[in-house]
Amino acid sequence: MRVTVDVIGDTTYEIEVDDEATYADLLEPTDYSQHQVSFMVDGRPVPEDQPVEVEEVRVVRLVQGG
Amino acid sequence: MNCDKCGEEAVMHAAYSGLHLCQEHLVRSVDKRVRRRIREDGLVPDDATPDDPTTWVIGLSGGKDSVVLTKILDDTFAKDPRIEMIALSIHEGIEGYRDESLDACEELTADLDIRHEVVTYEDEFDLQMDNVVEKDPENMAPCAYCGVFRRDVLSRYAEEYDADLMLTGHNLDDEAETALMNFLEGNVEQMAKHFDASLGPLDERTDQDHHVPRAKPLRDVPEKEVALYAHLEDLPAHITECPHAEEAFRGEIQELMLGLEDDHPGTRHSIMAGYEEMAALAAEAYGGDDEKFGECDSCGARTARDICRKCALVEAVDAV
Repeated sequence: MRVTVDVIGDTTYEIEVDDEATYADLLEPTDYSQHQVSFMVDGRPVPEDQPVEVEEVRVVRLVQGG
Repeated sequence: MNCDKCGEEAVMHAAYSGLHLCQEHLVRSVDKRVRRRIREDGLVPDDATPDDPTTWVIGLSGGKDSVVLTKILDDTFAKDPRIEMIALSIHEGIEGYRDESLDACEELTADLDIRHEVVTYEDEFDLQMDNVVEKDPENMAPCAYCGVFRRDVLSRYAEEYDADLMLTGHNLDDEAETALMNFLEGNVEQMAKHFDASLGPLDERTDQDHHVPRAKPLRDVPEKEVALYAHLEDLPAHITECPHAEEAFRGEIQELMLGLEDDHPGTRHSIMAGYEEMAALAAEAYGGDDEKFGECDSCGARTARDICRKCALVEAVDAV
């Protein structure tokens, strides 16, 4: 399936993934580690090892400091 | 995916433990780890009483970590008459950034009804970070100047408030990065300082009569879990990055560490477990060397030089 990934404040891209792909796999085109972002589906966080079930995902970056 | 503890929908996966957790159980898990760390490190002194309470100063920047820390400490100790807490925020003079994060601090401390104090570099040093960065008299990274000024302010105000302990919101990622940096730089003396200043349990540190001890109750919690906690609990955390942030070596360390954590979940925890033991040994070997310190000619602070690092930097900025 084709998924639109919106990295908030950075970039938006589309990625073609297979049925077993997880949210962490959506980061493949970026330099981000799964430990640096949260995946949001319909406004709520989802585990990064969960299979992708939606066509639009928002990725929120952690900010260091604080 | 479902929470391994209750079957509700999971919001996160902790690869290092294999657990999937829902919001409620994530929050509970973080709270539990913070309280355990406070207990294990002996942060609440046995002799604290309602008549003679212990005083804690919390470094509150408005970012997710210090906001989460302040919230958990308030939840845990607000009604405990043995402990008085003061949240201390610093305004560095970074246009458009610090004003917003201070708003988050004010909102949080008002919500929690916790005492809040704000200190500015402008008042303390007659300078603002934006100007320091522009002048850059010592050709250093912005964080290098700001770190010196910040530590000076935190130390002095902790003493002014007669604090027994200063608490900061460093998380597992922060500490593991520092551990790796010290190790890879071969800086054994810095490891010793790290242990005695903030890492070791209070009763295992070399005596530090001249500094308010520091503690980091969030240091067992990965950064991502702190961020999720702030988000899920709707805490007013400020999430914009400091515009002057650039730390090349730490950036490389982070990349290395997270790469290892991806391939070998639990690496950060292992780094910290081993490092804490090494740092304790280093502290035994290096600790307690007080003889080479005197007072700064300019401000009286303890220093190994004629003039302390902070005064030297302020003078350098003024000279440009």
